[in-house]
Amino acid sequence: MQRRHFLALTGAAIALPALPLRAATSPSDTIQTWYKLVLELVRHTATYSPPVAARAFGYLGLATYEALASGSGAHSFAGQINGMTALPVRPAGSYDEALILHAVMSEAVATFFGNTGPTGQRAMAAMRDKLGAKLHAGVAEDVAARSAAYGLAVAQHIEAYSKTDGGADVDNMGFPRDWPPPKGPEFWLPTSTIVQQQAPLLPAWGENRPFAMPVDAPCTAGTPPGYSEDPASEFYKQAMEVYDTSKTLTDEQKAIARFWSDDPMLSPTPPGHWISIALQIIHRDGTDALHAADALARVGMAENDAFIACWADKFHFNRIRPLTYIKRVIDKNWEALLITPPFPEYPSGHSTQSGAAAAVLTAVFGENFAFDDATHADDGIKPRHFADFNAAAAEAAMSRLYGGIHFRAANENGLRQGAEVGSFINALKTLA
Amino acid sequence: MKILTLGLALLPFAAHSETAPPAPLLPSFSEETTTAGVDQIFAGDWEYMVGGGVSTFDCNADARPDLIIAGGTNPAKLFVNNSAKGGDLSFAETASGLEQTAVLGAYAIDIDSDGIQDIVLLRQGENQLMRGLGDCKFQNANKGWGFDGGNAWSAAFAATWEKGQNWPTLAIGNYIDVTQDMFPWGSCTDNWLHRPDGDKFAPPIALKPSFCALSMLFSDWNRSGTPSLRIANDREYYKGGQEQLWHVNPGEEPRLYTDAEGWKRLRIWGMGIASYDLNFDGYPEYFVTSMADNKLQTLAEPTDTASKPGFKDVAFAKHAIAQRPYTGDDLNPSTGWHAQFEDVNNDGLADLFIAKGNVDAMPDFALRDPNNLLLQRADGTFVEAGDRAGVAAMGLSRGAALADFNADGLVDLVVVNRREPVQIWRNTTQTGNHWLSLSLSQTAPNRDAIGAWVEVKTGDHIQRREITIGGGQAGGSLGARNFGLGDLTEAEVRVIWPDGTEGAWNMLNADAAYSLQKP
Repeated sequence: MQRRHFLALTGAAIALPALPLRAATSPSDTIQTWYKLVLELVRHTATYSPPVAARAFGYLGLATYEALASGSGAHSFAGQINGMTALPVRPAGSYDEALILHAVMSEAVATFFGNTGPTGQRAMAAMRDKLGAKLHAGVAEDVAARSAAYGLAVAQHIEAYSKTDGGADVDNMGFPRDWPPPKGPEFWLPTSTIVQQQAPLLPAWGENRPFAMPVDAPCTAGTPPGYSEDPASEFYKQAMEVYDTSKTLTDEQKAIARFWSDDPMLSPTPPGHWISIALQIIHRDGTDALHAADALARVGMAENDAFIACWADKFHFNRIRPLTYIKRVIDKNWEALLITPPFPEYPSGHSTQSGAAAAVLTAVFGENFAFDDATHADDGIKPRHFADFNAAAAEAAMSRLYGGIHFRAANENGLRQGAEVGSFINALKTLA
Repeated sequence: MKILTLGLALLPFAAHSETAPPAPLLPSFSEETTTAGVDQIFAGDWEYMVGGGVSTFDCNADARPDLIIAGGTNPAKLFVNNSAKGGDLSFAETASGLEQTAVLGAYAIDIDSDGIQDIVLLRQGENQLMRGLGDCKFQNANKGWGFDGGNAWSAAFAATWEKGQNWPTLAIGNYIDVTQDMFPWGSCTDNWLHRPDGDKFAPPIALKPSFCALSMLFSDWNRSGTPSLRIANDREYYKGGQEQLWHVNPGEEPRLYTDAEGWKRLRIWGMGIASYDLNFDGYPEYFVTSMADNKLQTLAEPTDTASKPGFKDVAFAKHAIAQRPYTGDDLNPSTGWHAQFEDVNNDGLADLFIAKGNVDAMPDFALRDPNNLLLQRADGTFVEAGDRAGVAAMGLSRGAALADFNADGLVDLVVVNRREPVQIWRNTTQTGNHWLSLSLSQTAPNRDAIGAWVEVKTGDHIQRREITIGGGQAGGSLGARNFGLGDLTEAEVRVIWPDGTEGAWNMLNADAAYSLQKP
C-alpha cells in the first residue's frame, strides 16, 4: 500500500519545505513543523553527536507513530521491537489527531532536548504555546483535553521505554574524561587539537539496546584489511587511494564531500540529514500523517540501530584514521579536506546509517524513487539530485573518502552493514 | 606621570645578559568587591545572555582608570576611581549621563579628538554615542554626529582611524533577530560599518554576510600598516557562516578575505577576542574564546612581505586551554567569554585571563565554571593559576577588564557576572619584578594613537603590543598599558605610530608611568 501510494509521485519536483506555522493545522503539518524544530535542536544541542541524534529520532518517530496508529487500526511496534511494552489504549471518545501529535511532541521534544540551551528552550516553549493555541482553536474542550491527555500518556510511555536502552545519559558531550589508548600502530589516535577530543566519542554506545536489530547478534561490517605499512598491502593501497584522491579532487568531489559532511553543531548531523530527506518528500507529496509517521519512525529507528552496530565495530576494531596513517607513513604534511571525526575509523558511521536509511526509505517509498535533497540550502549548499535512495547512500559513503576521513573498506562495508540493519526494520509490520 | 616626546635619534641598544628564564611567579589577588564601591549587576533574561561588558578609561584626567559597566535591564553605571597609589581599590558611582538601560557593552574612544573620551553604548535597541563633556559627564551625540544607532541586538565593537580620515571608522557587531522566537537560528542581523563623512558619520554600511558577531577587533595581523577587521561569530546562530576577516581599506568597500587569499574556514562559538604578540615575531596572536574549546591562533606562514591570512591553532600545544573547570566539583565543559592578555606578575611575559560562565543553566556545560588565569612560562606555554592566585570565581562571568587601578604597577581585575554582582580584585603580588606603564598620545586626529605598536626590549626579545579598541566581551581598556620587565630596572621603548612613523628607542627607568607623545 505504501509503495503504490508513493510511487505515483515519483519524479515530481521537490522544494525545500518552508513549513510556515500558519499552515500547521493538519496532523501531517503538525508533525512536519515539530520536526523542523527538532532538526534545529539537534544542530544546537551540544550532546547531539550523530549517535545521540539517531537515538532521539528513533524515539520521536516511534512516539509519533504510536499516537496515530492507535486510532487507525495500524499495527503497534509493541511486541515487535526490543523491550517495548504495550502502549496506553485510547479511552473512549472523540480525538483531534493534530492535538494528540502536538501533545506527544510537546512532551517528547522537551524531554529528549531538555538539555538544550536557553534559545532552544525558548523555541520549544514558543512552539508549544503558539502552535498549541492555533490547533486548539475550534476544537471542543473535552476533545482537546482528551487528545492532550492521550498524547501525553503515549509520550511518557515512550520516554520510560527509552530510559533503559543505555543511551539516556550522555556525559561530557559523550567524551570519556580519561582514555588510556591501546598500544599498537593500528589503533585509533586522537586527530584533534581540542582537548576534549583526546578521547573518542561514546565508546560504549555499541552496547545500547537496539530497536529491531537482535540484541545478542548485532550486524557487523566484518573485519577490515589488516594494518600494514607495506606498500604492497591492501591497507597501504587504500590509504594511498585516499591520499591520491585528495591530490586530484575535482570541484564535484569537493562538493560531494561537503554536502554529506553533516558536522555536529553545524548541521542536523548525518541521521538528521536522512530525516530531512524524508521530510522533504513528505512535504512535497502532501503525505498524510500516519504514513509520514511510519516513514519517520522507520528511518529514525534504523539510524539508531545502525549507529549501535557501527559503534560496536568501531570500538572492537578501534582503527586508525587516514589522517594519522598518512602523516605517519606517506606524507607528514598531509591534511584532509574534512575535519576528521574524533573516534575510530572502521566502519564509517555515515555509510552505515546511510545504508540503513536507504534500505528503509526504499521499502517505504519504492525503488527508483528520484528526489532532490535541499537539506543544506540554508547554509548556502546547493541541492543535489538522486536517482534513488541507494544512489544517495552510495554518494554519502564515497564522500568520506573524498573528504579524507575514511578508507574505502569502511565505506563499502559500512553500507552493507547498514542495509542489513535496515532489513530488520523493514520486517516490522505497521500499516499493511 | 612622566611625559616624554620620543625623538627620532637612536639610543644605544641596551644589551641584557641572557639568563635562564624564571619559573612563573605566582601572582596573588585580593578580592575587594565589598569595599571597593563597585556595585553593579548585569541583569536581564534571554535578550541579555551575551554582553555584560566593562571598559576602563580615564574620564577625569587623573591617570586612574575609571569604569563603565553595562547593566542589561539595570542602568549602566560609571565608577570614578579614587584609589590611592598602592592602596585599596576605591571607586565612587558617579552620575554621568551614561545611566542607560538595555546596555550590553561599552567602549571608550575619543571620537572627535577633543582630548576627552567618549563612550559607545552597545544596546538592545538603539546604540548611542555619548560625547564626553569632561569631568566624567556625557551626553548623547547620535544626532549631532549623524550616527544611526539602528535597532538591533548589538554585542560587539571595534574602531580604527582609516588613513586620511579625521574621524574613526566604527564597526558594530549585531546578534540574533530578537523577534524570532521559534526559529531564531539563521536570523543573524547585519553588522554595520560606520565610516566618517567629514566630522560626522555616513550612513552605516552593512557587512554582508553577517554571522552573529560577539567580538570584533581591528588589528594589523600582517603588519601591512592597514588593520583588518577580525570578527568572532557565534556558530550557534549562523547558517553557512564562519569566523571572518575583512579587508577595510581606505576608500574601498569592505570585503572578506577569501580562501583564495589563504583564509582558512573556522566555525566555533566565537565569543571574545584577545591579541598579543606572544612569540615575539612581530605578528599578533589571537585568542578566541568558545565553548568546550578555545583557539590560540598564530600565523601559519608568516613572511616579511605578504603573509597569507591562514592561522593555525596552537592552544593545545601551548597549554592555553580552558576547556573545562580546573577546580571545583563541576567538570562539564566550559563556556568562555572575555579574554585579555596582561602581564599580571610583571615577569615580561603576557598572561591570559579568561572570564567564563554558563550561558544560562545549560546542563551540558559547567554551571560552576571558574575564571582562568593562565600564566605564560618562559618557553611560551601556559600554566593555570586562577585558583592559586585567588581569582577562580564561579559566577556566570561575561565581561572583564585588567588594568592597574591603584597605580602600583600591578594589573588589577574587574569581572562582570550575569545576574550577580560585579567582582573586583586588587593585585597584591609580592614581587621585585619591575614594570612600565605606557600611554600614547598624538595630535588630533586619533589622539590615543589607535593602531600604534608599542615595543619594549626585555632580555633577548621585544615585547610588542598593538593599541586597539575592540575585542573582548563587550568591553575593553583604553589608556595606559603595563609592561612587565622582570628584574630589569630599565628598558628601551619605542612606538611605531599609526601613520607608520617609527619612533626612536628610548631608555626608560622602570617602575614608572610614562605618557609617550608623538613628536
